[in-house]
Amino acid sequence: MSAYKDKDARINGIKDQIRVVPNFPKPGIMFQDITTLLLKPKEFKDTIDMFVERYKGKNISVVAGIEARGFIFGPPIALAIGAKFVPLRKPKKLPGKVISEEYILEYGRDCLEMHVGAVESAERALVVDDLIATGGTLCAAINLLERVGAEVVECACVIELPDLKGRERLNGKPLYVLVESH
Amino acid sequence: MHAAASLLNSSNLSLRFASQTQTRLSPWIAAPSSVRLPLNRSQNYRIALPPLHSTVSGDSTQPQQMASADVKAQDPRIAGISSAIRVIPDFPKPGIMFQDITTLLLDTKAFRDTIDLFVERYKDKNISVVAGIEARGFIFGPPIALAIGAKFVPMRKPKKLPGEVISEEYSLEYGKDVMEMHVGAVQAGERALIVDDLVATGGTLSAAIRLLERVGVHVVECACVIELPELKGRERLGEKPLFVLVS
Repeated sequence: MSAYKDKDARINGIKDQIRVVPNFPKPGIMFQDITTLLLKPKEFKDTIDMFVERYKGKNISVVAGIEARGFIFGPPIALAIGAKFVPLRKPKKLPGKVISEEYILEYGRDCLEMHVGAVESAERALVVDDLIATGGTLCAAINLLERVGAEVVECACVIELPDLKGRERLNGKPLYVLVESH
Repeated sequence: MHAAASLLNSSNLSLRFASQTQTRLSPWIAAPSSVRLPLNRSQNYRIALPPLHSTVSGDSTQPQQMASADVKAQDPRIAGISSAIRVIPDFPKPGIMFQDITTLLLDTKAFRDTIDLFVERYKDKNISVVAGIEARGFIFGPPIALAIGAKFVPMRKPKKLPGEVISEEYSLEYGKDVMEMHVGAVQAGERALIVDDLVATGGTLSAAIRLLERVGVHVVECACVIELPELKGRERLGEKPLFVLVS
């Protein structure tokens, strides 16, 4: 059962602002475009507020955001709950010493990196991205944080594509989303 | 540079890291042990000569080496922001002193102060658009947008935005790059801010200005955390004002 707040009055407004772009990046994919949500100050604020209400007071000291759209939602949440923001990036973007986690794509592999020293052992962390599809990227993010001894409390996304079963790929970590798209 | 020795005695001080392009203080002098460094102490931290002032076009850009008597008073939050920025030598290539803002993001007070300084400046200026440049502009732009009630518009590398886009080409040191914005994201007559973590040559910011102006938007100001003044980005922006916290 998805953990999303279908009874919250703000959810419909948020969902209505997400634009679906067919056949991007390739034929057959219905791309969930959050940039239209960002054009609506009230709905963008509601999105952040819903996450903040859930996580403030939970002793979360790290919000990790996945490049690049996780950089849009993660920092406002981090600032509001008093946590640090840690960007998780594609290879060779972070300038300092990094640890890397490889993960599988539909065709081929990719890699996610985090700065050494950004997160300390036993810190409680949230992982944020705009959307969860297969869960591969989120899984890599969880692994990175756990490798340095952090506790991943939850993964938080605006949108879930439940048919792709990403929720099952999260090493048992809970997932919280605002909107489901089938 | 005899001010250096006396500067070291003050508790909230710092000395500018020597850069390749302009000799400031040499050799690099470690921050006093009373300064808490958020990460590995062997890393190089950006240290700024106090009092550094936030700089806006129209002010004379004063030389950064000396804390001279007539330097403007600066907001007390600036020193903490500046000292939270880490300098990584030789990234992405030899000779470049990379200004790493990720350490600033680990300092919750300094990150909040950074956003507050921008929000205080822009909140009553009728700005309806904050455009942020991929990817580090995505970190600073949205919190500012949310606080001032503006929309956030991501300016992206090619082929990332899924809908119809307009593109603007710009020059790099070697070659060209392209910046894109969604059609319909902004309307003619809107007032916009452009946000990025750093301004170097000003090429990327100039492309962003052009993109917005092509659709009839008035770019009120460009806002960056850091400026590298020796690269003269401010001049490349022409008459567009630039506001930075640290230079």
